[in-house]
Amino acid sequence: MRAHLILRSIAKRCVSKDGQQTRCSFPPFETHAFGVLLRVRLFRVVAVFAALFAFSPAHAEPPDAALAELLSQARAEVPAACTQPDVDRLIKILCAKKIRIGVRDYYPLFAERKGDRREGYEVDVALAIGRMLGVDVDFVRVNAATRIPLLAEDRIDLIIATMGHNTQRDGQVRFIRPHYYRSETTVVGPRELPVASMLDLPGRTVCVTVGNGSNAELVSQGARLMLFDEAGVLPDRLKDQTCTLAAQDDSFFAKYFADADFNARYFQKFGFAQVPWGMAVARQGSAELARALELITQVFHRDGLFIDIGRLHSIRLGFLRQQQEVWRTPECNTDAGSTNPSCILPPLNIALQPTSFAPDVTRFERWVDACTGIDLALPMLKTAPAWSLFKDGVVYSLVLIAGALAATLAFALVLGAAMGSRSFLLRWPARLFTVALQSSPIVLTLVIAATIAHGLFALSTATVLGAAIAALGLANGSNAGQAIGEAMWSLRAEGMQSGLFGRALSRAATQIVAFLINAAKGTPVASFIGAPELLSSLTDITSFSSGRVTTYSILLIFYTAVVLVVVWLCGKLKQILEHRQAAA
Amino acid sequence: MNELMELLSGDFLPKFLAGMAINFQIAAIALVIGLALGLLLAAGRLSGGVAAAIAVSIIALMRAAPTFVVMFFLLNAIPRNATLFGTPFALSGVMTVALSLVPYSAAYVADAGVDSIRHLRAGATQGALLFFPNLTRAFLVMVMSSSVGAAIGVTEGITVILRQAEQLPSFDDRLVLFAIGIVLFGIPLQAGFMVMSLFQRRFGRSTVEEEASA
Repeated sequence: MRAHLILRSIAKRCVSKDGQQTRCSFPPFETHAFGVLLRVRLFRVVAVFAALFAFSPAHAEPPDAALAELLSQARAEVPAACTQPDVDRLIKILCAKKIRIGVRDYYPLFAERKGDRREGYEVDVALAIGRMLGVDVDFVRVNAATRIPLLAEDRIDLIIATMGHNTQRDGQVRFIRPHYYRSETTVVGPRELPVASMLDLPGRTVCVTVGNGSNAELVSQGARLMLFDEAGVLPDRLKDQTCTLAAQDDSFFAKYFADADFNARYFQKFGFAQVPWGMAVARQGSAELARALELITQVFHRDGLFIDIGRLHSIRLGFLRQQQEVWRTPECNTDAGSTNPSCILPPLNIALQPTSFAPDVTRFERWVDACTGIDLALPMLKTAPAWSLFKDGVVYSLVLIAGALAATLAFALVLGAAMGSRSFLLRWPARLFTVALQSSPIVLTLVIAATIAHGLFALSTATVLGAAIAALGLANGSNAGQAIGEAMWSLRAEGMQSGLFGRALSRAATQIVAFLINAAKGTPVASFIGAPELLSSLTDITSFSSGRVTTYSILLIFYTAVVLVVVWLCGKLKQILEHRQAAA
Repeated sequence: MNELMELLSGDFLPKFLAGMAINFQIAAIALVIGLALGLLLAAGRLSGGVAAAIAVSIIALMRAAPTFVVMFFLLNAIPRNATLFGTPFALSGVMTVALSLVPYSAAYVADAGVDSIRHLRAGATQGALLFFPNLTRAFLVMVMSSSVGAAIGVTEGITVILRQAEQLPSFDDRLVLFAIGIVLFGIPLQAGFMVMSLFQRRFGRSTVEEEASA
């Protein structure tokens, strides 16, 4: 009877209730197209479990027996414990006869919702767990941002939602071990693109999703990141060539590589940052539920149920096969296996070293929140890598601005002198060069400068900064130079012959100052070619931390303030030049 | 060079022209919004008192705000599920770039607007008409500046060129393609500037005559 119920539970159909939550009904098992192998395997798991449950041995070694005993004891407390306030969630689930499981709505092969129906590896794992517990499953839609808050707010009992187990999340939820899957971040790009490892990434733009744990590693390797909110858009951005490379879990790309056209055009260049996926329950009040789930996942691994479900949904099975071997060993196939370090996997360590003043920053954020209600977040001050990126960004921005101003002035003087020259051989090449620069949008000028620099020199921060300074200087200096040249000709027309260049500088002061300010304003665009200025740094920081609004507000304030300072300094320069003109 | 020829004989030109149309579209949106905002600021600046001081400060800040940073600010500061008057409000890439150009556009219009109103008050009608060639200059500058959209995936003219360049293995071919891009952008831009200069000279001359006779 129990075996039949479990089989039927897997073969459920989920009907939409309110657009977010889905309750499972139980149609006849025969209506569901399930794999024969899976049925046999499930039946075996359930049969063993049912037998052990029936006998309820006091001190069983295998996980099945421990699970049977645990559930037997929990059921014995129902319904008496149902009205008590602080009972374990396992009791609450048994009382309610349902478990609320958070799953994703759109994660191909793992959890998808098509109309009233949910399907995928995680959906079937959730259903198998529901049946093992003997309760219905209520599916609740979650995404990367909401899954942990919903658990904390007691709106779901369990997360099975492509959640990587890392040290950061370990403090927020209780992960169930053994893990039910493992993914790695894969870098995908056109087949013909010569990228084979991290060493090929410096200077290239990689499209990623905000908050992906592997972003920090890409940044540390010198890749530039283009951020997106949802992974679902990445394949389309690859196809429309917005992205040349995209990095995301291999589990995500699995579906797309099953498509012949996509597979013919794109290739998984390399993978990194392997991360085990864990189901998770709340840290408080879920000890017995967690224990039950640990025993269940042990059994599922050992008996190959995860493999069968995975095969049904065409996901990669390498990790699951490896885990089956582990959980079949006598050492791990015990009720203490899930706490044995040689059987389970550690979480991915993504903890970033905090700065010495991180606690002060946190206190300041809370103070601002309490006083103003503003949700201030200063991630650039809290961890050592972010702080280092931030400091470097500020320094490089200032170097870039100073360099751009100097280059603008230098090119203005040289091109101005050439365009104001009486020599045809000097004047016309300078004019043609200026027209070409005026006709090139700044982004294109920067890319051309970077292309030439990369062709001549090895790729480095200095090369990129140099290229950016040259491009910004040329673009603005040519315009200012034109003004100087025109001033020289107008002075000649007025009969001036001596001290022409100095007087022309004074006469063109307004234009020179305008293009110096323009050069300062244009410096953030240098991030487009990989200059490590503040915009690049903050984009990198926000790719692996929170606080985007605050971060970009700080960026806007920083650059606006710097430009205002440049405007003030240029105003002084203009006064000096105009004073000279008046004196002359 | 063969790869470049194949590329150019393909659908490059239609794609590029469609991309350039996006550049013009972005500039037009920014100009319309900037015109409304800039004229308000110009009126505020000429009204005197506190309103003038506020308008001057706002114009100074708008003038100093770098377009590229404003674009990233808008991209990251506006929530994806934001609502405006109860209706879902999500900025497209084109609108994000257009709005990032609005501070420049509004500050420029405000400056040019103040000059024009002063000319009008002085009875120099021709001088006031210089507002329109100045507006054309701002439009052309914004057409060029809208290429920053390439950084957030907007398929404008420069994006098309850069995507095509990535397919060219030869360094020389890429430089030739960039040169073609400059020519294609340069033609409408230089033509626009020439027309604008003609108008400016004409209105400028008339203004001098008007002011002399006044």
